[in-house]
Amino acid sequence: MSMEDYDFLFKIVLIGNAGVGKTCLVRRFTQGLFPPGQGATIGVDFMIKTVEINGEKVKLQIWDTAGQERFRSITQSYYRSANALILTYDITCEESFRCLPEWLREIEQYASNKVITVLVGNKIDLAERREVSQQRAEEFSEAQDMYYLETSAKESDNVEKLFLDLACRLISEARQNTLVNNVSSPLPGEGKSISYLTCCNFN
Amino acid sequence: MYGVCGCCGALRPRYKRLVDNIFPEDPEDGLVKTNMEKLTFYALSAPEKLDRIGAYLSERLIRDVGRHRYGYVCIAMEALDQLLMACHCQSINLFVESFLKMVAKLLESEKPNLQILGTNSFVKFANIEEDTPSYHRSYDFFVSRFSEMCHSGHEDLEIKTKIRMSGIKGLQGVVRKTVNDELQANIWDPQHMDKIVPSLLFNLQHVEEAESESKAASLGALALAFYQPAVPLKVCIPEGETVMVLGSLGRSPSPLQAPEKEKENPAELAERCLRELLGRAAFGNIKNAIKPVLVHLDNHSLWEPKVFAIRCFKIIMYSIQPQHSHLVIQQLLSHLDANSRSAATVRAGIVEVLSEAAVIAATGSVGPTVLEMFNTLLRQLRLSIDYALTGSYDGAISLGTKIIKEHEERMFQEAVIKTIGSFASTLPTYQRSEVILFTMSKVPLPSLHHPVEMGRTGENRNRLTQIMLLKSLLQVSTGFQCNNMMSALPSNFLDRLLSTALMEDAEIRLFVLEILISFIDRHGNRHKFSTISTLSDISVLKLKVDKCSRQDTIFMKKHSQQLYRHIYLSCKEETNIQKHYEALYGLLALISIELANEEVVVDLIRLVLAVQDVAQVNEENLPVYNRCALYALGAAYLNLISQLTTVPAFCQHIREVIESRKKEAPYMLPEDVFVERPRLSQNIDGVVIELLFRQSNISEVLGGSGYNADRLCLPYIPQLTDEDRLSKRKSIGETISLQVEVESRNSPEKEERVPAEEITYETLKKAIVDSVAVEEQERERRRQVVEKFQKAPFEEIAAHCGARASLLQSKLNQIFEITIRPPPSPSGTITAAYGQPQSHSIPVYEMKFPDLCVY
Repeated sequence: MSMEDYDFLFKIVLIGNAGVGKTCLVRRFTQGLFPPGQGATIGVDFMIKTVEINGEKVKLQIWDTAGQERFRSITQSYYRSANALILTYDITCEESFRCLPEWLREIEQYASNKVITVLVGNKIDLAERREVSQQRAEEFSEAQDMYYLETSAKESDNVEKLFLDLACRLISEARQNTLVNNVSSPLPGEGKSISYLTCCNFN
Repeated sequence: MYGVCGCCGALRPRYKRLVDNIFPEDPEDGLVKTNMEKLTFYALSAPEKLDRIGAYLSERLIRDVGRHRYGYVCIAMEALDQLLMACHCQSINLFVESFLKMVAKLLESEKPNLQILGTNSFVKFANIEEDTPSYHRSYDFFVSRFSEMCHSGHEDLEIKTKIRMSGIKGLQGVVRKTVNDELQANIWDPQHMDKIVPSLLFNLQHVEEAESESKAASLGALALAFYQPAVPLKVCIPEGETVMVLGSLGRSPSPLQAPEKEKENPAELAERCLRELLGRAAFGNIKNAIKPVLVHLDNHSLWEPKVFAIRCFKIIMYSIQPQHSHLVIQQLLSHLDANSRSAATVRAGIVEVLSEAAVIAATGSVGPTVLEMFNTLLRQLRLSIDYALTGSYDGAISLGTKIIKEHEERMFQEAVIKTIGSFASTLPTYQRSEVILFTMSKVPLPSLHHPVEMGRTGENRNRLTQIMLLKSLLQVSTGFQCNNMMSALPSNFLDRLLSTALMEDAEIRLFVLEILISFIDRHGNRHKFSTISTLSDISVLKLKVDKCSRQDTIFMKKHSQQLYRHIYLSCKEETNIQKHYEALYGLLALISIELANEEVVVDLIRLVLAVQDVAQVNEENLPVYNRCALYALGAAYLNLISQLTTVPAFCQHIREVIESRKKEAPYMLPEDVFVERPRLSQNIDGVVIELLFRQSNISEVLGGSGYNADRLCLPYIPQLTDEDRLSKRKSIGETISLQVEVESRNSPEKEERVPAEEITYETLKKAIVDSVAVEEQERERRRQVVEKFQKAPFEEIAAHCGARASLLQSKLNQIFEITIRPPPSPSGTITAAYGQPQSHSIPVYEMKFPDLCVY
């Protein structure tokens, strides 16, 4: 009987301009809701969700950051320990796409170099108001060596897929690291460090 | 519930049975107290089992959370808390891992109640002082989560407040837990500080948004509380006390907030937490703690209204250990530098904060940063002048750059000057004079070695820089108390200052005079001379006078002539306005009070009489107003000095003149000149002698009372020095010709020519006879010399020449001197020269020819 209620723990941080739908994506994934009229996030928001992938329990700690400029300093401080970053933009807003290079610079500066970044174009339910073509986004993500996905938090399109794919990639990444480093858990997770408790559990 | 199967129950390990027993059938019943006691007793008697108890408890709790059985969750937490409290410090370590796991589990929940429950347990744990190191504990998640809670945006206002408060308490807990333990995760790392500090500030700043004006009174009370110096922090602050104190300041209880303890609002709590955090910061950590504050203020653009920024830094300055306060100043300074291209309002905000912080810091030690601080401020001042002049931040006018508003730059400049002043006023004397010297060295002066920038902008910039720096200097010197004038006004400083005193610019001259006044005034007498008047009894001024000290006398010996000359020349300026005369009067009066001995008094009187001459003779073609002002200035000053010397006859003479002026020429008295609409007379040439102060009378009456009457008789003539050549006012040529004039007047030749012209027949005849005799003597000597050179052996001649070599050298020098300046020749030869004009050269020259012939 393990004391842990999970096999893997990953920290995922959502970033991107204000109003692109970061909070809605998280809500849709963790609670299955689409809160209409969601207010601007203050500072950071926190959600947790445990998913099962190939029989393994994966706990996802999701930190949803405020897009507003004034919270930039506190949100930056959360990048550092992230295992994955979801960089979000709004397909109906050219401006949010044009800011992406700036966000990439931030990532470069503050996040760990092993971080996995996913580019997400949200709000595909508003296809008729699309300003950023899929092709353009794909080209951009390829150039930056990022995984790309288009989602709709409102219609729940690709939201599950986004997080589950990410979890899969994080697991395989973690496994690789384990092989390379021969360490039980190379990821910064507070659970794994106290393994002595789990092994003494039966006496 | 879990022990339903009796036989299985008996097989379970004892600790599991004990744990199971504390849970009641119905979670509503709460913890089973008796069984809890049993568990506690067991844990105490068998501490090695603690880790297993903890693990089992947390396992149950995690299961209960998953099954939404919150009643049992609370019970498990209560049990954990009790165990934690009951156990000894040494054994806690075994237990903590499972405890922290449980808290983390609760914090992961979306339910506010569980979050708060978890936080409360964590806070209790944080207050336990552990004495064993814990190497593998990590508080990353806690810091992240608590910071997130501080930013809670829950829809329900009451719940939002509760969550935020929990977050702050949690952060406080983390800080308490980790701050003293060097083996643990370093809480001062930027990754933690960047979360903790902004979270606290966010809550601190929120109070203003929420209760803004309506709570003006309570804010005032809070502001008062800030001024109290930081109380030394205990490791664990008893909750109750502080809550009571702060509760009385907080907002009026709303019906929603039922329990007494909840009255405290997030802002107050955040402030307390911030103070505690800063109070614990060691030298190396200050930077990491202050940086996020600066960034937060930047991001939320809080420099501009600056109330919050000032509040923050007051909290910081009063909370940190005083020996570190200069680090904060340093950081603010570098932040100012980093922002040198931001809007003037932002810079002004930073400077204002700096001034508030510097005042607090100065009470501690600011040692090494003092000059750096002034250097930065002065540099910013210059930059600002440049910005204002060029209209852009990069010196070249280009499109797209932000428009610079001149009045905002002006505001910024004023703020800088104010800061310089308020900071300087807190420094000890020796540092202040250092600062004064430093500031003075930054004033751009026209000099021969560093030609001033030419062109309109260059001049303009120089002028503005001079004004700004002198303003700063004035700020620094106000209230400057230095017992020793020598150290207050060292000569290199005085030289620079006085050379600016002769600038064409009236505003600059006034600043210099005011700076001098504030230096010299050490007894707070200056305001008593702010208006020029001829009081018949100066005792109403209640002057504070001390005897002039020995050092001051030395100072005056050294520098008095320089001072007099500048006063004299300043008086002659045509652009003077009333303020200048007032300042001049103040300066004269203060010198007489602070630095005067008998000699100085005599010189000052001579100076003032010379000024009167300026008005009377009017070589400079001064306007009527200036001349009347000079008359009035003289009257006022002599009135003052006569009463200070307390020589009755002197007083009487002065009074007489003043009285007759009152009757016949009121426009020569300050009461008529230095008013809003001066009553002047157009006809002031040819003033009757009764209306003037007379040198002869004054020297007579003062000579009778032991003053140096001989000196008094001499008219004052200012000494000219190199400085005048440097001053822009006069062209070099003019100065040189003046100097030549002075020289020729002083040289004895001129005086001696006068008697030489009265040549009678007798003297001529005598001269001729004398010169014939001299001629014969000369011839004889020449013959001897020639003979000697013809007959004597070479060695003898060589030796002779060697001995005379040095003599020759000195004679040569003498010749050079003579050719440059006509020598004071003996009167005998002059008469000889007159007697036999052109026929014979002066014997002094002739004597030298043989020496020259040697070579």
